[in-house]
Amino acid sequence: MAADIALQRVAGARGRGGAVGDFLFHHLTFLFALLVLLILGGVIVALVEGALPALRTFGIGFLFSDVWNPVTEKFGALAPIYGTLVTSAIAMLVGIPVAFGVAVFITEICPIWLKRPLATMIELLAAIPSIIYGIWGLFVFAPFVQQYIQPNLIDSLGQIPGFGALFAGPPLGIGVLTAGFILAIMVLPFISSIMRDVFETVPAILKESAYGLGATRSEVVRQIVLPYTRIGVVGGIMLGLGRALGETMAVTFVLGHAHRISISILQPGTTISASLANEFTEAVGDLYLSSLIALGFILFVITFIVLAIAKLMLLRLQRRAGG
Amino acid sequence: MSPPQSAARLAMPVVPSDADVRDPELMPAQKAVLRNVDFFYDSFRALKNISLPLHDKRVTAFIGPSGCGKSTLLRILNRIYELYPGQRATGEVLVDGENILAPGLDLNLLRAKIGMVFQKPTPFPMSIYDNIAFGIRLYERLTRPELDDRIEAALRRAALWDEVKDKLRQSGLGLSGGQQQRLCIARAVAVEPEILLLDEPASALDPLSTQRIEELIAELKDDYCIAIVTHNMQQAARSSDYTAFMYLGELIEFDETERIFTHPKQKQTEDYITGRFG
Repeated sequence: MAADIALQRVAGARGRGGAVGDFLFHHLTFLFALLVLLILGGVIVALVEGALPALRTFGIGFLFSDVWNPVTEKFGALAPIYGTLVTSAIAMLVGIPVAFGVAVFITEICPIWLKRPLATMIELLAAIPSIIYGIWGLFVFAPFVQQYIQPNLIDSLGQIPGFGALFAGPPLGIGVLTAGFILAIMVLPFISSIMRDVFETVPAILKESAYGLGATRSEVVRQIVLPYTRIGVVGGIMLGLGRALGETMAVTFVLGHAHRISISILQPGTTISASLANEFTEAVGDLYLSSLIALGFILFVITFIVLAIAKLMLLRLQRRAGG
Repeated sequence: MSPPQSAARLAMPVVPSDADVRDPELMPAQKAVLRNVDFFYDSFRALKNISLPLHDKRVTAFIGPSGCGKSTLLRILNRIYELYPGQRATGEVLVDGENILAPGLDLNLLRAKIGMVFQKPTPFPMSIYDNIAFGIRLYERLTRPELDDRIEAALRRAALWDEVKDKLRQSGLGLSGGQQQRLCIARAVAVEPEILLLDEPASALDPLSTQRIEELIAELKDDYCIAIVTHNMQQAARSSDYTAFMYLGELIEFDETERIFTHPKQKQTEDYITGRFG
């Protein structure tokens, strides 16, 4: 009763302005939240609508054809899809071990004074605009790859029968492998910072228990830390993968833009996003434009699935840590 | 108590020589001996000139109010503190005559020799079987039947076998708190250590589980040198042979448990065990 009166007094003192403000605030923020969903929905609708002519013309075969001929207006998405998946796969293959090493070093081994500077610097890698990566990739990294990495690959792995086909052809510098390397550098900060965060969630006492049995650091990391954080680590990897799949500018610079599927990863290729970036300005025919939009839609679906999995996994980890 | 007094007293070795002399037949071997051990968290001196023995096949209890340094002391014995920069110990800790604080010592071997059980149960995120096998696999290559035997023996030792023998493949996280703690004890004894360090092993458990842990300690002491930190004075009185009372980083008194709890020499010890402070 006394509380009621006190409440009334407070309400009275602040007048009706507070209530109206609160009402507005509530609905305004709700509107903003709704806006995000509307934009997402709008993007999907626009993509589907734009892609319809191409999908209607080529049907499901659009996904499985590697023809890309603007002159005869025959289009298929297989080469860009292939390029997207292969460059991202290389990025993951190179990026995950490095990111893992960085995260382990920072959480388990690094002296305290170095911890923060190192973590910050690695996170700053994510602050470099992707166009810079592209320019650096084209003028600095690709020549380096051409001169030192590719010849060695061709001479060593390229000589293995069968498997060697992956490393066949002249060292061009640019190409699928180089794009994969650049992507690896770009996703590194994302993966490593998430790994770091989830490694930090391992209770100190749990690690001490393992050390207390005489385990070494690598045994503790492999057998205690990794199993404990497995879901989060996979979530972080998926998040990185989502970025690698959609990355455009840097890849466009170093990929060489060839609408074909080469077995050799030293050869030029294309990705969905690189195709879009390269060709939108010159897409004159309706079907050409529609095919590009259809490519965009495919990319959207792929990254959406990957990121959804990532979020789900991170969510599961949080729930377990909370409960 | 005034500081000069305590300093003067600690200048004397607190090793209970008279206790040993009284009954030489039953004199237990000294498994570990601490000599003038100091411990620092950065510049904070958490332990001051600690000297005492840990007898083999006996339980030594460390009691004292929170923050007195008793857990810290335990963490010196397997050098687990070294995981954290800024923590260091000085002085000597002789285990079987070898100074384990000496540089160049193989820490992993030391820790395999000295088992530790923590305040909270810490089952690893793996099956009950693998929890026990973890430590064994670190140092020994056993055939499957040998490993099975070792795991059964360890679980029996920790009085857990009957409760888990049908679910060895299930996660250790699914056990109750008391079972998890006994799993941790089983894990510690599975590697056949020589010293067992128990850091308030029952503080997070219900009375029944606590009782089981105490019974377990009584059985384990036939084979091990056990050091236990506890907040619970009844527990210290019930389950230990020797008791060390610590206060503010100093060892105030060390003696046979019976004498500490019946005829403490120091006024502070008496005040603490009678509940007048702490």
